[in-house]
Amino acid sequence: MKHFDGQFVWTVRRIVLIKKGVCKHMKKGVRNTRIGAFLFLLAPAFILYTVYFFVPLVMSFWYSLTDYDGIYTMNFIGLKNYVKVLQDRDFYAAMLRTLLYTLVNVPFKVLLPLGTAVLLTSKRLRCRTFFRAGLYIPVLLSSLIVGITINWMFGQEYGLINFMIQKLGGTALEWSMNPVLAETVISIASNWASLGYFMLIFIGAINNVPKELYEAASIDGADRWQSFLHITIPMIAPETFLVLMLSTNDLLKEYAVVQGVTRGGPGSSTTFILQYIYEQGFNSGKNGYASAISVLAMVVFLAIALVQFKFTNGGDDND
Amino acid sequence: MIKKKKYSMPLFVLAFLITLLVIFPIIWLFMSSFKGEGELFAYPLHFFPQQFSIANYEKVLRKGFMQYVQNSFFIAVMSTVITLAICGMAGYALAVYRKDFKWSQYIFLYFIVGTLVPGEVQMIPKFDIILATHLYNNIWGVILPVVASTTGIFLYRQFFVSMPMDIVEAARIDGAGEIYIFTRIMLPLAKTSTLILTIFSFMWRWNDYILPMVVLNKQKNYTIQIAIRNYIGNNGVDWPSIIAGSCMSIIPVLLVFMVLQKYIIGGIATSGMKN
Repeated sequence: MKHFDGQFVWTVRRIVLIKKGVCKHMKKGVRNTRIGAFLFLLAPAFILYTVYFFVPLVMSFWYSLTDYDGIYTMNFIGLKNYVKVLQDRDFYAAMLRTLLYTLVNVPFKVLLPLGTAVLLTSKRLRCRTFFRAGLYIPVLLSSLIVGITINWMFGQEYGLINFMIQKLGGTALEWSMNPVLAETVISIASNWASLGYFMLIFIGAINNVPKELYEAASIDGADRWQSFLHITIPMIAPETFLVLMLSTNDLLKEYAVVQGVTRGGPGSSTTFILQYIYEQGFNSGKNGYASAISVLAMVVFLAIALVQFKFTNGGDDND
Repeated sequence: MIKKKKYSMPLFVLAFLITLLVIFPIIWLFMSSFKGEGELFAYPLHFFPQQFSIANYEKVLRKGFMQYVQNSFFIAVMSTVITLAICGMAGYALAVYRKDFKWSQYIFLYFIVGTLVPGEVQMIPKFDIILATHLYNNIWGVILPVVASTTGIFLYRQFFVSMPMDIVEAARIDGAGEIYIFTRIMLPLAKTSTLILTIFSFMWRWNDYILPMVVLNKQKNYTIQIAIRNYIGNNGVDWPSIIAGSCMSIIPVLLVFMVLQKYIIGGIATSGMKN
């Protein structure tokens, strides 16, 4: 607070004045000035947010009840879209694929950053800042570039990975032709891109654990592993919950990475829900139908977030 | 507790290997970008280019890549400036007047909805709004919809909530106007928040993909990301251009990161910035 010393002296004097009741009540004029200032400061963000976020949110509900094709027709058709979606096998396939992809990847999204964070907070490690910065670099890349970079490594004919497999005597894998392998590449790309970010969240959390706890534990004869299990893990529960929520949310909405790697192929074997919505809406002109899928997807996403929140008790924190 | 202040070699090697593994794909991409087309698609692969060539870069530059760089740069800078201005204002308003008007809490809640609902899912109606506001195929069409960042508003609000209100009260008694207090006294105090938001906003907008893809349809408006995506054409993937373009798109954010990495790494650890 060094810089505010001058201000502080004044502040103290003001507080005395306020306490004396000199300016206890807000006069009407004062109140109006403040409302004016409040509205003026708030207006630009409020208007833009309303127009470009909230109105579309409401509209997507409305669209889902119409047969809107993006240009001409828009008739109210009630819940017909929803009925159709619920009978749409492609929708179920895309949704199941998304859920499965999320389920498989969430453990990696949480455990890999946690592991590296533990390593990079170790007192016995030299050049920690350097390693942290290095691991963060992939986070700087756009999702599209992430997809491209990883895809370049896993190219079928001239990719480095296949080259190395062949060098070691194996046969080259068909990374983009085999659905499972294609999904593996997407998973690697996705984890690669988020590792550094989640790692930093964990590092922040680990650094915030009071050192006395470890000292007390070591006096009681706990080894490193026990301290980790019984001190670090419970103490960083809120951040673990945060990472869990963020990574689940990212995985459910995976899109740009997929564009950089497979563009949904081979066939539709890596078409996740967001891509399916865009395909239906923008490419096939079934905007009403796509909106119904969006609304259902939104409900599913929120339900998943809620379930996670219930089960983890919000990381036992109100942060 | 007896603690040996000794650095461990195995840990260092482990950390080194992990870091190398993580940044290797990027190094490989850069190495590849300097290989001629013949070398890119020929076995055996070499780590260093056998024949150093900048042909890939020349190729994308000939195809007007600088225009896309300019567009991306314009979008990133403009959105960042506007984001800082309006998020700073809104965050301040929601923090400082929160006790004056009880209903301001509901406005804050209204903004919070934006962080809970995935915006990508509403791309279709959002697109219609962009059409209706005459921003389709307009560079502002990818700026205005994203500048009211709820993350930004939240970041500023949390900062101003943590400031003692006495500063504001004091200035008021001195006769300073409300706007004057904001611009001259409070906003300068929030420079760390401003710096963090500047870095992140620039990065988000530089890397934006979905919105530009939907909104910008004319080649002269393309951003780097859209241009690169279009190298993945329908008749085959133009890898040399993709690689060179990707490398060029990485360099600016990498430079910003190197200069300001202390703030980025500190910023996440304390505030958990996320788009």
